[in-house]
Amino acid sequence: MMTKTSMIALVLLIFMGFFPMFVDSAWLAVGTTFLVFSVVAFSQDIILGRAGVFHMGHALFFGLGAYTTAILNVQFGWPILATWAPSVLIPMVCAFLLAGPIIHLKGDYLLVATIGFNIIFIQILENDVFGLTGGPNGIFGIDIVRLFGIQFASQTYMYYMAFILLGITLFIMRNLDKSKFGRAMFYINKDEIAAQSMGISIRYYKLYAFILGAGIAGAAGSMFSVQYSAVSPEAFNVTQSIMFFTIVLVGGSASLPGVLIGTFIMFVLPEVFREFATARYLVFGLAMILTMILRPRGIWPVKFGNIPSFLKKDVK
Amino acid sequence: MDIFLQQIVNGLTIGSLYALVALGYTMVYGVMRLINFAHGDLVALSAFVGLTVYTQIFGEGITSLVAVIAVFMFTAAIIAVVGVLLERLAYRPLRTAPRLSAVVSALGAGLVIQNAVMLIWGPNMKIFPSEIFPSTIWEIGGIVVTFTQVMILGISAMLMVTLFFFINRTKMGTAIRAVAIDQDAAKLMGINVNRIIMVIFIIGSALGAVAGLFIGAYYRGITFDMGWMYGLNAFVAAIMGGIGNIPGAMLGGLLLGLFNAMITGYISSQWAETFTFILLIVILVFRPTGILGETVAEKV
Amino acid sequence: MTKMFPKFAASLAVCTALVSASVAADVIKIGVQAPITGQYASEGQSIDNGVRLIVDQFNAKGGILGKKIEVVSCDDQGTAQQAAICAKKLVNEGVKAVIGSYTSGATEAAQTTYFRAGILQTSDGTSDSLITHKYWTFFRNSFPNSAEAEYTAKYFVDGKKYKKIVVLSDYSSYSTDLADSVVKALKAKNGNIIYEGKIKSGTQNFTAALTKIKSMDPDVIYYSGYYTDGGLLRAQQIQLGIKADFVGGDSNDNPDFMKLAGGSAEGTFLINVPTPDILPYDIAKQFLVDYKAKYNMMPASIWSLMNIDGLRAVLNGMETTKSEDTKVIAAAMHKLKDFPGITGPVTFREDGERLGGGYMTYEVQADKSYKIVYK
Repeated sequence: MMTKTSMIALVLLIFMGFFPMFVDSAWLAVGTTFLVFSVVAFSQDIILGRAGVFHMGHALFFGLGAYTTAILNVQFGWPILATWAPSVLIPMVCAFLLAGPIIHLKGDYLLVATIGFNIIFIQILENDVFGLTGGPNGIFGIDIVRLFGIQFASQTYMYYMAFILLGITLFIMRNLDKSKFGRAMFYINKDEIAAQSMGISIRYYKLYAFILGAGIAGAAGSMFSVQYSAVSPEAFNVTQSIMFFTIVLVGGSASLPGVLIGTFIMFVLPEVFREFATARYLVFGLAMILTMILRPRGIWPVKFGNIPSFLKKDVK
Repeated sequence: MDIFLQQIVNGLTIGSLYALVALGYTMVYGVMRLINFAHGDLVALSAFVGLTVYTQIFGEGITSLVAVIAVFMFTAAIIAVVGVLLERLAYRPLRTAPRLSAVVSALGAGLVIQNAVMLIWGPNMKIFPSEIFPSTIWEIGGIVVTFTQVMILGISAMLMVTLFFFINRTKMGTAIRAVAIDQDAAKLMGINVNRIIMVIFIIGSALGAVAGLFIGAYYRGITFDMGWMYGLNAFVAAIMGGIGNIPGAMLGGLLLGLFNAMITGYISSQWAETFTFILLIVILVFRPTGILGETVAEKV
Repeated sequence: MTKMFPKFAASLAVCTALVSASVAADVIKIGVQAPITGQYASEGQSIDNGVRLIVDQFNAKGGILGKKIEVVSCDDQGTAQQAAICAKKLVNEGVKAVIGSYTSGATEAAQTTYFRAGILQTSDGTSDSLITHKYWTFFRNSFPNSAEAEYTAKYFVDGKKYKKIVVLSDYSSYSTDLADSVVKALKAKNGNIIYEGKIKSGTQNFTAALTKIKSMDPDVIYYSGYYTDGGLLRAQQIQLGIKADFVGGDSNDNPDFMKLAGGSAEGTFLINVPTPDILPYDIAKQFLVDYKAKYNMMPASIWSLMNIDGLRAVLNGMETTKSEDTKVIAAAMHKLKDFPGITGPVTFREDGERLGGGYMTYEVQADKSYKIVYK
């Protein structure tokens, strides 16, 4: 059975798979960044779009993954491959510890609390705690992936590693929708109170989404740090978190093509319009307002099924 | 002891600026349940508009208090108009839309204002003339108080007291409170909700404008992206006090200013923000409605 | 997924072929990595302008090694992360050498990428850490913080005989590095440091930190950060009635420092190398005339001229070796001795350090002009 969404996913995977054949290495780098950021955007979507947790600090988990790889590789000499598991697990553990006490908070309070976590994270990085994070300049000279003496240094290898990560992410999300979690989310979004009284633990599922999203973002962060061989605090600040938040809502929450369109608009268009560097964020801002007025549920909203409750109109 | 009292003066000064900005957040939230993410950028815009008005219309070198008051009032009026336009163009079309759509629109509006400021005034720091206020300094028992600090403390206090009486003692204030409690019921009572929201944006933006001008006069250097920092601190202050609650925002602002000064003075300036947000998260976990906010039972 | 792997392999092969085919080009590309927008925009634009001016002059004479030079600029906004992105981009563009960046942080973030690609890099970043990697690709075109620190310590202990010294920095790589060097140099001369602190750049309100300092009653407050915060620190110091001298490191030497400090600027001491307008060399005077003629303004500071000297050393290396091989050029640059530069003779040590110095202290006068008080 092919649903419309999996068709789109397949076409996209085929297109992205052949993309390196048509472009030079500069565009390949843009393509790699697009893949990495769309993985982060999907993980933000699991938390915000599917579980309905108002989360505006996602760069924290992205950064945690990136810094885990950077610190283990540069400060402790681990090979990059060995840092992959910790760069997923550490964000997950942190997500559990941080979100546990606040996950019950209502929407706007959650926004502020997650922004707060993000700011504290940046300050920890800037203050160079235990001499590990390199302060405001971050960590440079991150290694490339090596396996059996082969060096995966070229941009093409980086591209396909990010491509495989996106594939894994899409696979997880597809299974997620069909799982117990997906059904629970469906009912929570339909009617939170009814779902709760049926014995669905909202807290449990929200926390589950949060931890899963953090892990995926951590994997993307690890990829990001290898791609640029450097990490520094400002790449993971609240502005970045707001970007991921906006991507999901402008594109369309819980919508696969929507999130991809959002990522494309926010991360690839700025590369294309570099000449208009000074005015481009002004245009961005206007576009955000206009999109929300004309299409309040995003450019490509979900049409049926798992529509997040906050996307439904308030009935007055 | 001198040092402690000096830190209190420092803290109260910055705290009253936070309070002025926090009022804008809290009033909009109270009525519209919307975090007005563009508010901080309005504050920055005000500093730039004020600088231009001051140097273009009055020329540099004027120290007459009358001229300065005129600059303040004129700038506040301009920012109030921008605030009303902001509500008309970016928020009103989304009043019945999903909640997060309005948040994204607010974030977009913030980007627009911030980058418009950058395009008009340039990316580099602009500098306020030093002679806006006399450089008088009083030294009372080892504590130093400047003329600008006295102006900030005095005028903020005056504005806040006026606002308090306006909200609690006038007909318009009653209408604002009614709309904050229940928009539909207020509508049925013949209150023009659109007009109330306009008034909210006029007051909030004008108070933010005054804060922006004081920031310029006190710290002198202004940058196009400074609104974010002041906005965030003020927003934290509003939540600490209890968002939607007007005296709460005033109290939250002053407390946050004092808290910051004490942390910087006695513990470490390196961790000031961390302490601020740990305090915020602790307040949210144990008293989500803030210090003065009331607990409201959720409607089912 | 498994079905796709042959296709991946095929596209990999095609890509490699494309890359190797595009190497033979008829221009020589020079990269500029500088903060063209952002906080340090004036410095970044000045570097970019200067590089383009020199390259135009070369191209008017027929280019280099029979080829035209093409400039590729990338804006790193003065941030480390953007610098890492720029480094990737410039490597992909196939540049031979990169001029910049302005800040030490942005320079360091890009260093490894250039080293791995074998691309020459020359920057005015003054952090001592920049040369600790011993990359053969890196050449510093300014003088290191340790040189400025030794001068500062000499001035404080031997010249001014300060008894209670406060050292402040911000969090940037450059500023913390300079402050650390100054502290080290002061300790070596038995200077009495009573407080070392950090302020957060851009927070504007430094009264809390200064109040704490006031209680220690220092003779001098030394600030190693940038002018945007230094000017405010000075103004707030005077407001709080702290009667210590204020000495700013080289990055405080900017007209905006005077504007920010306002009436408090008078009596401030600034430590820096000579400003562009008092450089005694003919080549410097000619460059400033050409720059003014083309852009109708002066370069932002001495730092862009340092970068221009880096560029001229690279081009000189290409000309003398008649080679495009960066390894050969680097070897020639390491042997360079007293190459006539705009900012004085250029000599590189084996680790890429530029030898030399020549700092002085200026006292700001009531009319905002400088008076040299210590050499």
